[in-house]
Amino acid sequence: MSATTPREDAEVGGRPLPPGWAAPAHQPGADSLADTTFEERARENLARPFQRTAIANATDHTVFALQRRFAGTAHDALRDEARRIRAHAITNLPTYLEQWVDRAEARGTQVHFAADEAEARRIVAGLCAERGVGRVVKSKSMASEEVSLNSALEGAGIDVVETDLGEFVVQAMGDRPSHVIAPILHRTQGEVHELFSAMAGEDLPDDPEALTGFAREGLRHAFLTADAGISGGNFLIAETGEVAMVTNEGNGRLTTSLPRIHIALVGIEKMLPRRTDLAVLLPLLTGHGTGQQITTYVSVLGGPRGAGEPDGPEEMHVVLLDGGRSALLGGEFEEALHCIRCGACQNVCPVYRQVGGHAYGWVYGGPIGAVLTPLFRGQADGGELSHATTLCGACDDICPVRIPLHDLLLGLRRRRVAEDVAPLSERLAFRAWGLAWRHPATYRASTAVARAGLAVLARDGVVSRRVPGLARWTATRDLVLGRRR
Amino acid sequence: MTDRASFMAAVASTPRGHDPGLPDRAAAPDAPTELRAGESPLDRFQTEAEAVSTIVERVDAAGAASAVAAALEAAGAGAVAIAADLGDLLEPVREACRSAGLQVDDYADVAPERARAAALDATVTGCLAAVAATGSIVTTGATGRAAALIAPTHVCVVRADQVVDGLHALVDGDVLAAAGSMFALQSGPSRSADIEKTLILGVHGPGRVHVLLVV
Repeated sequence: MSATTPREDAEVGGRPLPPGWAAPAHQPGADSLADTTFEERARENLARPFQRTAIANATDHTVFALQRRFAGTAHDALRDEARRIRAHAITNLPTYLEQWVDRAEARGTQVHFAADEAEARRIVAGLCAERGVGRVVKSKSMASEEVSLNSALEGAGIDVVETDLGEFVVQAMGDRPSHVIAPILHRTQGEVHELFSAMAGEDLPDDPEALTGFAREGLRHAFLTADAGISGGNFLIAETGEVAMVTNEGNGRLTTSLPRIHIALVGIEKMLPRRTDLAVLLPLLTGHGTGQQITTYVSVLGGPRGAGEPDGPEEMHVVLLDGGRSALLGGEFEEALHCIRCGACQNVCPVYRQVGGHAYGWVYGGPIGAVLTPLFRGQADGGELSHATTLCGACDDICPVRIPLHDLLLGLRRRRVAEDVAPLSERLAFRAWGLAWRHPATYRASTAVARAGLAVLARDGVVSRRVPGLARWTATRDLVLGRRR
Repeated sequence: MTDRASFMAAVASTPRGHDPGLPDRAAAPDAPTELRAGESPLDRFQTEAEAVSTIVERVDAAGAASAVAAALEAAGAGAVAIAADLGDLLEPVREACRSAGLQVDDYADVAPERARAAALDATVTGCLAAVAATGSIVTTGATGRAAALIAPTHVCVVRADQVVDGLHALVDGDVLAAAGSMFALQSGPSRSADIEKTLILGVHGPGRVHVLLVV
């Protein structure tokens, strides 16, 4: 594995690592999408047959599990209710945010405000520097991926250890997660075996149990020696000032229990008005995310260690991240903020299932990735993703909070055209087409020309060659000509 | 640095969308995480807990302490920490474990010493509540945040009167008033399927969770 270059030193942040266990080297990926196009990234990923098989196996399993989970329950009514709760929370976000901050501070949580990605990095790095933090353990957080937190902390000389098994592999390989719930869906057991063996300095048994055991031992050491734990958050609860978090491995629990400082980085849109809303949103998040009744661990954190409690962090900090969210409020794309990051739309998307999560270029893949990327990063940096969809509507059907992803994607396409991002030739062609089909005579003339032209290019009634001017379209599609009457 | 006022100003500066209103608690429809009509909470709890690989054993109050010791012996535990939320059972459990030859400490004493905590074979805790429809136990900051996770085996004592029907009953009820700085639901052993979707138990938390249901 060429991407694996464990650090030479067996000591990080002044503390020794377990014998024979080298800290992974973090190799940050490209932070800008401008270097490659969706087409290039898709092509690269299509050349990895394992990925397509793995995605099909895993996502089919999850979708079947989800259907079984809700069979015989009032699933649609539950989703309607969830949609209402999310819409109400987002519409009233200013009120609920103020309430959340007041209640959280009353419980001893220190709240910080990050307007953008750079500020989030500065705040977290600043908290660590002020408190002499040498090592950080992290539980899975998509918000931290958004702001590229790891490279910022490592740049500040802090040892960062991802503790979710999949995220740990991603970090050690210098890779990026390819799915919100299953970060290493695109990696084989063989690749993990090779990586861990390189880290261990010996050939480990090639079986998931042993590989997990190896990671557990090293990560447990990291938990016990870390000064700070950094987590994300699945929900903010306005009524109580709490942060709710779901995990299966238990790393989220340990991250927020063992180190003396806990820092949660949470997007402001994760707001729920009340604790009671968890009873609606939790089963949908876990059911649509993995098909589970409930995840193994659900933590609802309301401040640092309390009086008389035997453990827990001395300080709890929450960094609220705007990062492009407030700009969507009240607008055409507001519903994108309803997302609870279950990954279900990704699982059913025919485009994602072929090209994988990395083809989307940034943090989020699938339909919600195609929506959020241009909204958070700008049209120039992700606008083409609104075309990385078949508009089949499978995402709308499965979304637990009924986000009209299909409409949002269409809206982004319209916006792209309005902003003149499409190439001049494409815009001229569509304009000419529009003019030609406005009148019956020119319409008939245009179809006659097209039929004659295509007949020249066709073999046995099928155009499968590159048609001049339409080469990019016909290179991947056959055009079957209708039989002439 | 963005302060609270300017951060909130950005959020509040946009026009308001359509507000569908907030559904009230009573309107919540049934979900997989709620008890179905006519179901026994204790039976549902056992079914759901066993479905996620929890060992569930029903014991009577008089036999609870010795059942804890037996559960620890069955797990091959030597060094054990017990949490203060065992309440009335704290002393009987301590005695039963000592009689069984186990090394017993209070979790509150062990927790500050990381090396000792890391060397534990098992922890024994009570709980704030248990949720029938999800097979979950609910612990709090008073139990100890890491008390249920730090060791390879977790033994949890649940009184029958602590079992609530479903998620709604838990989050709407008064029971969480005693939660302290946090509460957490846990449902079975720690698990991961990150490596090619192969299910592995005991990743960061315990691989063995044994619930003694005191009826």
